[in-house]
Amino acid sequence: MKKVILMLLLFVSTGSIVAQENNKNNEIDSLVEAALLRKGYKPSKTQFMIRGYGHAGIESVKTNGETASSFNGGTFAPIFLFKHSDRLMFETELEFQISGGSLDVGFEYADIIYVLNKNMTIRAGKFLLPFGTFMERLHPSWINRFTTKPLGFGHDGITPGSGVGVELRGAFNIGSSILNYSIYNTNGPGLKTPDGEEPIEAGMLTFDNLKDNNNSRAFGGRIGILPFADSSTEIGASYYTTAKVGDRGSIYENLWANLYAFDFSFVKQIPSLSGIVDVKAQYNNSKVDNIIYEIEEEPGIFEDLDFDNESKSYYMQISYRPSMSQNNFINKLEFVGRYSKLETPVGAGFQTNKKEYSIGLNYWISWRSLIKFNYQNITGTGGHDIIGRFKQEGVYFHWAIGF
Amino acid sequence: MKTYKIFGATVIVFSAVLALTIGSCSAEQTAAYKNRSGAQLWGENCIRCHNTPSPASYNDTDWETISLHMKVRANLTDDQAGKIFEFIKSAN
Repeated sequence: MKKVILMLLLFVSTGSIVAQENNKNNEIDSLVEAALLRKGYKPSKTQFMIRGYGHAGIESVKTNGETASSFNGGTFAPIFLFKHSDRLMFETELEFQISGGSLDVGFEYADIIYVLNKNMTIRAGKFLLPFGTFMERLHPSWINRFTTKPLGFGHDGITPGSGVGVELRGAFNIGSSILNYSIYNTNGPGLKTPDGEEPIEAGMLTFDNLKDNNNSRAFGGRIGILPFADSSTEIGASYYTTAKVGDRGSIYENLWANLYAFDFSFVKQIPSLSGIVDVKAQYNNSKVDNIIYEIEEEPGIFEDLDFDNESKSYYMQISYRPSMSQNNFINKLEFVGRYSKLETPVGAGFQTNKKEYSIGLNYWISWRSLIKFNYQNITGTGGHDIIGRFKQEGVYFHWAIGF
Repeated sequence: MKTYKIFGATVIVFSAVLALTIGSCSAEQTAAYKNRSGAQLWGENCIRCHNTPSPASYNDTDWETISLHMKVRANLTDDQAGKIFEFIKSAN
C-alpha cells in the first residue's frame, strides 16, 4: 500500500515538474517569438524614403488673340530622403515634366544636411535658396494654391531659385517669438550677354550656374521673425549679393549685382470666420551694375542698349477655406485670389511691364491632394519673345497630389 | 532718394516687429509658449505652408525621416520639431 502511495506521489510530483517545464518552455518560446518579431520590424538607423508630388490637368490659354488648349500631364517630382542618423541626411529632388511634346528633366536640389547643434544646421550641395519664401517653401504644385507661379518667379524670373554652395540655418526662441535665419555662400549668378544664346536678353541674370563662371561667390541670407506665440505671422527679409556676374575675362566680369526681398505670411484658423485665412506676399528687387550692351540686330547692324538695370516684382495672395463648416463638401473648398506685378528695365531687350490677376476655386480631396480651377489674366507689355502689348487669359484645371 | 525710402520703411517694419518680439519676452508670454502642446504646434506650424498632415499617413520610422527634413526646410526650432513629431507618433 505504501508503495502504491509513494508511486502515486512520485507520479504527481513528476507530472507537476513536467507541466512546469512545459510552461517554462512555452514562456521561452513566446519570448523568443516576440523578440524575433521585434527584430523583424526594428527600424535600421539608415532610413530611406521617397516623397514628392505630381500633377496633371487641362488648360486653355489665349495669348494676344491666339488660343492654345492642351492636356497638361505627367509632371512627377520625386524627393529622395536618406536619413543616416538623427543628425545626418541627404535629400534630393528631380522634376520630370512633359513640355512642348518632349520630356524635360530638372535637377531641383541635392544637398547634405548635418545638424551641428539644436540652433544650427549646415547644408552643402545644390539647395533651394531662402530668397523670400515662395521658391523654397511654396512652389510645389500640391502647396501652391494656383497652377502657375506669380510673375517674377520661374523662367525669366528675377529671383534666385537654387544655388550650389554651403548654408548655415536654424531657429531659436526669443521669449514667445521665434527668429529663424539662413546665411549662404553659392556660386552666384551668371549674366546673359550679346554674344550668348539669347542676345536680346542681355543684362538679365541667370541662376542656373552649376559651376562658378568668375571665381566670385554670391553671399546671401534671410532673417525671419515670427513675433506671436501661435506662429501665425512671419515677416522676413532676404539679401543676395555678388561682386561679379559676367564670365571671367569678359568685359562683363566685374559687374556686380544686389538683390533683396521682403516676405510676409499670415495663416490662422479664425473661429468667427469659420475657417482658415492664409495671406502671403513677397517683394523682390534686383539691381545689376550698368553697362552698355551692343546688340547685333541684323548682320553688321548694331544697336546700343543703355538702361538702368533694375527689376522688381511682387505678389500678394489671399485664400480662405471654410474648414470649420459642418458641411463635408463646403469645408473642403478653398477660395483664392492673387495679384502680381513684374517690371524689368525700360530700354532693355527684355523690357517687361506686366500685371497679373488670378482667382481660383480649389477642392481638397485630402490634406495633400487638391483639384484647382483657376482663371488668370495677365496684361502689359514685353516678355519672353514678345515685343509690344501682351495680353493673356487662361483657364486651368489641375489635379495635384503630394506623397 | 528711393534707397532711403526703402531703408526707412525697412527700419520702421523691423522696429515694430522688434517691439513685438521684446514684448513677447515677458515671463507670462514665455511660459505660455513653453506650455504649448505638440498638438497645438502641429496645428499652427504645418499650416504655415501646407495642410496639417494626418498622423496616420506614415509610420513612426517614416515620421522620423520627415521630422528631420521638415525641421530644416521649415526652420523649426528643436523644441517645436520634438513636440510636433512626438505628438504625431502618439496619434498615428
